[in-house]
Amino acid sequence: MTLRASALSDASIAEQSGLLSELMAHCGSDGSLVAVQTTKDGIPTVWIKRQQLRDVLRYVKSELSRPFSMLFDLSATDERLRRNHDGLPIGTFTVFYHLFSFDRNQSLRIKVALDDESLSLPSIIDLWPNADWYEREIFDMFGIRFEGHPFLRRLLMPSWWDGYPLRKDHPSRATEVGMFQLPPDKLDMTQDALQFKPEDWGLPRTYHDRDSDFDYMFINLGPAHTGTHGVLRLVAQLAGEEIVNIVPDIGFHHRSQEKIAERQTWHTFIPYTDRIDYLQGVLNEMPYCLAVERLAGITVPPRAQAIRVMMSEFYRIASHLVWYGTFAGDVGALSPVFYMFNDRERILSIVEAVCGGRMHPNWFRIGGVARDLPIGWDQLVRQFIDWFPERLDDYERLVMDNPILKQRTVGIGVLSREDAIAWGATGPMLRACGLPWDLRKVRPYSGYEQFDFEVPTASNGDCYDRAVVHMLELRQSLRIIRQCLDSMPAGPYTSLDPLATPPLKQHTMQDIETLINHFVGVSWGPVLPPGEAEVSTESSKGQTSYYLTSDGSQFSYRTRIRTPSFAHIQMVPLMARGELLSDLLAVLGSVDYVLSDVDR
Amino acid sequence: MTEWRSGRLEGVRVTEGGDGPLTSVVGQSVLFAKLQDLLAWGRKNSLWPLNFGLSCCFVEMATSFTSVYDVARFGAEVARGSPRQADVLVVSGTVFLKVAPVIKQLYEQMLEPRWVISMGSCSNSGGMFDAYSVVQGVDKFIPVDVYMPGCPPPPHAFMECLLLLQSMVGSERRPLSVHFGPQDVQRPIMPSMRDAKRAERMGQREYPSIDVLPRTDLLSSHFAGQPGGRSKGKS
Ligand code: SF4
Repeated sequence: MTLRASALSDASIAEQSGLLSELMAHCGSDGSLVAVQTTKDGIPTVWIKRQQLRDVLRYVKSELSRPFSMLFDLSATDERLRRNHDGLPIGTFTVFYHLFSFDRNQSLRIKVALDDESLSLPSIIDLWPNADWYEREIFDMFGIRFEGHPFLRRLLMPSWWDGYPLRKDHPSRATEVGMFQLPPDKLDMTQDALQFKPEDWGLPRTYHDRDSDFDYMFINLGPAHTGTHGVLRLVAQLAGEEIVNIVPDIGFHHRSQEKIAERQTWHTFIPYTDRIDYLQGVLNEMPYCLAVERLAGITVPPRAQAIRVMMSEFYRIASHLVWYGTFAGDVGALSPVFYMFNDRERILSIVEAVCGGRMHPNWFRIGGVARDLPIGWDQLVRQFIDWFPERLDDYERLVMDNPILKQRTVGIGVLSREDAIAWGATGPMLRACGLPWDLRKVRPYSGYEQFDFEVPTASNGDCYDRAVVHMLELRQSLRIIRQCLDSMPAGPYTSLDPLATPPLKQHTMQDIETLINHFVGVSWGPVLPPGEAEVSTESSKGQTSYYLTSDGSQFSYRTRIRTPSFAHIQMVPLMARGELLSDLLAVLGSVDYVLSDVDR
Repeated sequence: MTEWRSGRLEGVRVTEGGDGPLTSVVGQSVLFAKLQDLLAWGRKNSLWPLNFGLSCCFVEMATSFTSVYDVARFGAEVARGSPRQADVLVVSGTVFLKVAPVIKQLYEQMLEPRWVISMGSCSNSGGMFDAYSVVQGVDKFIPVDVYMPGCPPPPHAFMECLLLLQSMVGSERRPLSVHFGPQDVQRPIMPSMRDAKRAERMGQREYPSIDVLPRTDLLSSHFAGQPGGRSKGKS
């Protein structure tokens, strides 16, 4: 058990070793702490024996000083084809728990190795309620069972699916398995599989007590419903008009992104990241590129960083505007969405002028961005940021001061700060509960530490407060863009590192070696050294993280994409219980989510 | 060919006759047409889409309903929540395996005549998602009338395809009654747009620079909806 030196600051190494010695002290010398792994992201990573898993998790959650209160992510890896495992105690599958401590501002990754004979682990739903969907997802994708999970069944794939998609022996492409057909019997079977049976979810159909006796009503919302903003399905259990419980059904938007990442080269996966959350363009590319750069050890030049920040903030505004308009629409204000889409259209004009695309810019590259800013960009940006604040004032009067909107959202869908943390809420959802937690501030990346901005919060955690936070964030994004505009650094727009992709044309045409280098770099892409790196960033809806495992090839061995919408949709039943049915759409509208971000 | 007494519609020959005010008043409010043509004209200009979106492409479709693009100009802004009231199913996005039976059911619940626009590469062919959970093209289980390329197709492309569908619907002839006339639907053969546009595309010699931006005014009336801006396209 050795700790190798890495490129981390002394302070974080001290933090790490402090945490590790606490852990070791707890685990004692009985060998339950199997190994300590050094990863390129500097997140302390320990391997635990599966028998001690619950004990260690309980310890770090509730007994450790400054505990790890949030289960940030939970997923697995199929290790059977891994070549470069660097002496780690891997089995056939690894399950990893990514925990986060707000007190320490630190992550902790706990891994458990599993063998073929015993593909099961104890469930941790009682420790962290949000483990529910994560465990179901692992069961769905890897076939690993969680003992004690009350509803361990498929989450993303349909119930009739055969096989576990993220196992290495499962086909990746649809064209590998023959043409899709939908003959009548299959249609009936697949539609029957969508039937909702309350008993399956432990929901009673009737209610009895001494003075009342009634049937619950079950209402099915979606997957084709105008209020769900996409193919999401919710089944509500109602007592009269009051929501007793909600069972969300997701997976209608599952695009197999994590599997696709294993067959695209590092470079050619970038356009796929755009489509993880299709409203926020480059904000998806940020964590992915940062993680790849961390693996490759590339430093991004200041101009590229500033361009990235500027475009990210534009997309944040665009995404917030769509959210803002549709939220107002959901509670009955139909005109704001038209204004906000016009503003978004202006932003998309700027994006198009710079990146060439509208919704899917495909603009970041490993080591920088695709091109330099075009001549004349500043005029466009200036025109927008000079004009927009006045519009925001209008919206405040139009939307936030609207008495009907207030009646429909104040005090509705309240989320307490404790619940928010226990359920893995991040981004505006968390900030609306009063916690000023923004990764751009607390763990700056891509040069955010040089910018002057505030982290807006609200205090009640209801639907209205979530809108307040979004509203205020729009202004902060404008502030950041103005600073980019006023002090855009000069210099190269992409790194000169040999692993930066695509390689620069000016470095070729010298001799045959440079030509071959260029050719290989463009057609195959870089080969990244083996290792693991995870980067989380503050995207428009919360924290998005990419956890990449490189096996020393052109492809990722495993790409885990942790998205905020997944966590937030899992919380909808929590927020909606006890509200009226008509408030469900207000709650749903206030949760900033996109289905592609939920199902990936 | 259709002969209308009023001059407001396309393909119309205005018949000038008489010179009194009575003739002109009648001319503005009476039309003569074959019933078939009139119905086709009505269908064509009131294609109501089903309010159903799958993924990224749907956002661009929704954008074309807002005021910068404004499909209300073509009578297609009445998005219906119920398939029974809708004429056009726009499959806007990735067709997921789990959602395929839902799309099929929505399609079957739409009343005839009904049309399908496949919007975006995903819906056309699976696009960039050749993946286990994605159906490689919605035409594997429902018929498609117009295929719209792009990832995502911008709102202009949506409008172009809407107009293409309109021209098809306008020249379709459907039986008026089960008792007389031909009982089949007569459909025009629609040209391939790739062929139709080839000459123009091959003839393009000048391309705008991507390094120098043309001067764009973000506050121009093109982006309707701010003080002083005019709503676009009403002519
Ligand atoms: S075609 Fe492109 S934009 Fe449209 S749904 Fe597919 S990935 Fe999204």
